[in-house]
Amino acid sequence: MRRSLSRLFPDTVASRAILILVAALLAFHFLGYWAYRVGVEGLATAARDRGLAERMVSIKRAIASLPEAPDRDRVAHDLSSASLEVHWSKVSLVLGSAPQTERTRTMEARLKELVPDLAAESFRVGFADDGALEAGDADAYKHMMLVSVRLDDGSWVNFSSSALGATQHADWSVLAVTICFGVGIVVVALLLLSWAIRPLRDLAIAAERFSLDQTPQPLSESGPAEVRRAARAFNTMRERIQRLVAERMQALAAVSHDLRTPITRLRLRSELLDDDAARVMVDADLNEMEGMIDSTLEYLRGGVSSEPIRAIDIASVIETIVDEQLDQGQKVTLSGLSSAPVLGRFLSLKRAFSNIIGNAVKYGTNVAISIDETDGHLVVAVEDEGPGIPPSDMERVFHPFVRLEESRGRETGGSGLGLTIASAVIHSHGGRILLANRSSGGLRVTLALPKLDLESAQVIEAVRPHLRDIRESS
Amino acid sequence: MNQAPASISSDDHGHVLVVDDDPQIRLLVARFLQRHGYQVTGASDGRGMMDVLAHTEIDLIVLDLMLPGRSGVELCREVRATSQVPIVMLTARSEESDRILGLEGGADDYVTKPFSPRELLARVRAVLRRSRTARGLGGARASEFVSFDGWKMDMRRRELQSPSGTLVDLSTGEFDLLVAFVEHANRVLSREALMQFAKARASDDPFDRTIDVQISRLRRKLEADRNGWQLIKTIRGAGYMFTSSVRSHEGLPA
Repeated sequence: MRRSLSRLFPDTVASRAILILVAALLAFHFLGYWAYRVGVEGLATAARDRGLAERMVSIKRAIASLPEAPDRDRVAHDLSSASLEVHWSKVSLVLGSAPQTERTRTMEARLKELVPDLAAESFRVGFADDGALEAGDADAYKHMMLVSVRLDDGSWVNFSSSALGATQHADWSVLAVTICFGVGIVVVALLLLSWAIRPLRDLAIAAERFSLDQTPQPLSESGPAEVRRAARAFNTMRERIQRLVAERMQALAAVSHDLRTPITRLRLRSELLDDDAARVMVDADLNEMEGMIDSTLEYLRGGVSSEPIRAIDIASVIETIVDEQLDQGQKVTLSGLSSAPVLGRFLSLKRAFSNIIGNAVKYGTNVAISIDETDGHLVVAVEDEGPGIPPSDMERVFHPFVRLEESRGRETGGSGLGLTIASAVIHSHGGRILLANRSSGGLRVTLALPKLDLESAQVIEAVRPHLRDIRESS
Repeated sequence: MNQAPASISSDDHGHVLVVDDDPQIRLLVARFLQRHGYQVTGASDGRGMMDVLAHTEIDLIVLDLMLPGRSGVELCREVRATSQVPIVMLTARSEESDRILGLEGGADDYVTKPFSPRELLARVRAVLRRSRTARGLGGARASEFVSFDGWKMDMRRRELQSPSGTLVDLSTGEFDLLVAFVEHANRVLSREALMQFAKARASDDPFDRTIDVQISRLRRKLEADRNGWQLIKTIRGAGYMFTSSVRSHEGLPA
């Protein structure tokens, strides 16, 4: 119930603003209408009622001055008008027994107040008795009000007026005008609001698209004051984040550069060692250290890469990685497509596939890799015969610095960043990465990347910057 | 290129100038290169380097990109303004911008830091060989770009582009082999000669694959493209031959 209510409740700034406008308009209209009724119309009614009352007094006097009954009746008729009907009769049309209601008493007091002359007269105020009153019908009060004034000889002049004390009916035209105003305001407000809210929408879009990958494009600080302020705050925040990241990167680059120098020295020293076995082991340790520095830097770079995007044959990249593993005595097989063009950053992609294949080799003994194409995507499946990953950890392994083998000893090494980097790279290339345990045991990593259609103009666009690059450098 | 000898002269040694601000690395690189038959002089910065160049005949410069004072790129440009002496740049690893920067400065090749000494040795050998081949032809420098059958090779960036425009990844050994083939196109290369080209990398490696494996891997990558079939022919009993018309460019292949 609450949910359906909240769904009805306007959600966007525009709809809320329109709701506020319409509500304010309605309130204004009805308050104005009420004030009009109470004030202006009250005065007008009083003036009209006074006029009627004065006419009643003068008509009564005119009739009273005539002695003959037929004359009285004729004059009464002659003096009748559309707004005031006059009858002369022996009896009062307002029955003495007619119940005094609040309204009749009010009317009586009002008439006396308006025309003090009338106060001296003996008169009755009541409703035309058509039986409705006795039936207790509430509508009876809307029936014509009668005023009977007694002449000295005991006969009565009866006045009846539709205008006299009549209740004002709700004016439908007022409602129509209000509705027209409302519709007009909604239309105008929609147009104006979409204009006024555009900067806000731009701000939201800029915040959504915010990434360190792109060159910062400051949000234009336009629109209403609040939005300008938000845009300014957003720009400042972005600058601050970028400065922070840049500073960290600089610090890290400095550290990694400083580390590279001793590693380079160690490599040179190990090369000068006469003990071959020791050299091989030192080299292996150095490789591991380098790998850790590289992957940490790659992770901290957070997808920011100065590498150009170009057309790459990913099959050749995988072949190179597989060959390298074969040279190190690993059991890896490769099948499927021999040519697999994608658009991307070469070093990033190579690192991603290196990490995935390296993991498979590390945890599973026999690794089978296949490259296929489905639905415009190149699908690379890497299957190993290792222990797989517990289903509860499937999500967690993508988190940085998570190493599942921690519970099983650290013999496999690694920084815990391999999958994190691979998945960041694949996602930044518009691809997907999926982990699944194979029914026959072992893990299957499926990587899908959008295939580059070499026939399309896209490749020309993709390659052109690179070609220009070469031309400039030569 | 037609005059180039099909076999490699054993005398590919020369005088190498090592420019690095770290004295230990200078010393260690010097000792390592000396061990492999090179004469080595060290310099700690641009001024020292210019001093050496002014007074000594240098065959190759190993230049660190990150130097105090003037950067390696600046120095590289300055050297290029007056001399064609080959330069191998030492750059930070996986920083693509550094790599491009180094090459744009006019370096002939680069090694990423922390480099393996053998990698450096292989680069020094390859660059020296290429520059000597070019000098033998009277050309000022080795060509930067080579094209054959729609394939394009960027010698400095060590990149191969297929006729369909995709970048084809080659291992260091495969690229060196392809360079050897391209430089000796339409001539039979013996397995021994090819082994010489890839020697620096493969030597002492317990998992070393034979040259035939390297060639079959290179072939597989070339044959992934329509225009890659039968580029490398097996000549029974003699070796291999690269059959294509190779064009060299200083600039971008047309």
